[in-house]
Amino acid sequence: MSAAATAGTYSPASAAGEKRRERKEELRRHLAEDADWPRADGRSFHDCRPAFMQTGPTTAASGSAYAEFGKTKVIVSVFGPRESKKAMLYSDTGRLNCNVSYTTFATPIRGQGTDNKEYSAMLHKALEGAVMLHTFPKTTVDVFALVLESGGSDLPIIISCASLALADAGIMMYDLVTSVSVSCFGKNIIIDPTSDEEAWQDGSLMVAYMPARKEITQLTLTGEWSDGKITNAVELCMDACSKLCDILRERLKDASSLAE
Amino acid sequence: MVGLSEGEKHFIRGGIAQDLRTDGRRRLQFRAISVETGVIPQANGSARVRLGATEVIATVKAELGKPSILHPDKGKVSIFVDCSPTAAPMFEGRGSEEFSAELCVALQRCLLGGKSGAGAAIDLSSLIVVDGKVCWDLYIDGLVVSSDGNLLDALAAAIKVALSDTGIPKVNVSLSATTDQEPEVNVSDEEFLQFDTSSVPVIVTLTKVGKHYIVDATSEEESQMSSAVSVSVNRHGQIRGLTKRGGAGLDPSVIFDMISVAKHVSRQFISVLDSETLAAEAAE
Repeated sequence: MSAAATAGTYSPASAAGEKRRERKEELRRHLAEDADWPRADGRSFHDCRPAFMQTGPTTAASGSAYAEFGKTKVIVSVFGPRESKKAMLYSDTGRLNCNVSYTTFATPIRGQGTDNKEYSAMLHKALEGAVMLHTFPKTTVDVFALVLESGGSDLPIIISCASLALADAGIMMYDLVTSVSVSCFGKNIIIDPTSDEEAWQDGSLMVAYMPARKEITQLTLTGEWSDGKITNAVELCMDACSKLCDILRERLKDASSLAE
Repeated sequence: MVGLSEGEKHFIRGGIAQDLRTDGRRRLQFRAISVETGVIPQANGSARVRLGATEVIATVKAELGKPSILHPDKGKVSIFVDCSPTAAPMFEGRGSEEFSAELCVALQRCLLGGKSGAGAAIDLSSLIVVDGKVCWDLYIDGLVVSSDGNLLDALAAAIKVALSDTGIPKVNVSLSATTDQEPEVNVSDEEFLQFDTSSVPVIVTLTKVGKHYIVDATSEEESQMSSAVSVSVNRHGQIRGLTKRGGAGLDPSVIFDMISVAKHVSRQFISVLDSETLAAEAAE
């Protein structure tokens, strides 16, 4: 497991070289204007937390994955394809059933994770475009995600981890889905926010992306955004998603070489 | 669920490709909208919006409450949506829960802004009565009376009109000598304060059918969609929220294109909604 245990980073960078440099200059100017906060964990605005991902933490599942990004720790198990419940109507495509739950100790205040009821539906929407549902008719694939510790950017990490677990389970997919979110603070955009940063953000944007197909499966946006900033932020997220996808692929290769 | 034959499906898709939809509209044309205000006298503000056969009611109720410890200088706003089984059989029992939760989250995302309060449609600090002690809790409820597609846009429009219809009672506070005592609050039932609703956005949902996208889809058209993007835009053309529905992935350039189209369409939609609101308020 030593190879799998190395943490990789997926910060967007050189790909948008010119732009990145421009942004850095811009950032420096902004910082000079309202220079009061370097990020608490010492990252620069466009640095992601190291991504630690591993396949196969649970043995009972068809496939599973564990992800740890800074303080955020997520475990996802995939079961199936197995026969759909009797109450379900006949369907010639498969069903994807997603459920996200929080441990009671995941949040600083006990049991606060239940605020995020919509995450199950959001996870489903991010994944359903990637899974080849027609390959398992009449059956259901269950994706169960458990957030062990919530440390910010929970949903993007759940989505990325779930697609790794689906791949580990051997469910046919068009592409791996990875997801990254950004927060907006005044003029600044910061990537992969922690929960403290999320609590004070002016706006947030999350992208779930299939890098090989160059398709966005889910995009949500809240708060105050100007047009130019949306484009910038989406590009930034897509770049980071592609890099995160490379990390996911590495982990899958490690897992298969270990199996041999 | 909409039961359509292969022929009907083909007809709908073909019509959209040729910019002539089954009800004679063009792709970027809304159905006739009708607005009524003050339909629920029990509430502080209410509105009924009809968009073709889709009908929704939105109410705003204000109650005095206590601000949260984390934000002592802000009031609270909560949004709920109820899909009544009288509107469609699929809303019966638990069937509607997931769907109303989806609408609810989308509306919250568009109206409440970021965590810091930036970009919020309703200025939360205007809801405060006594700092850290008393504030207004605003309950915004949406009810789906009849469903024929495009519920999100109709609900957002109804909420916008209901908020402009809302009067918050004027409150007289008599501060007692010792500060830790509860302040005495006197709610006036004659004087009302009007809301500033200029920054409340509308939602425009672009539904992608085939290669093209349409606004204000009926439920038949929605059954043929591959994906939909709901963009909320305020009067100044600023984007305040965005949600994607439907499974199929979208090319990033298509999304940016959809955002600019939504901005363009929202301008007309807001002006139509404004004139309808004015007419409704005059009729009341």
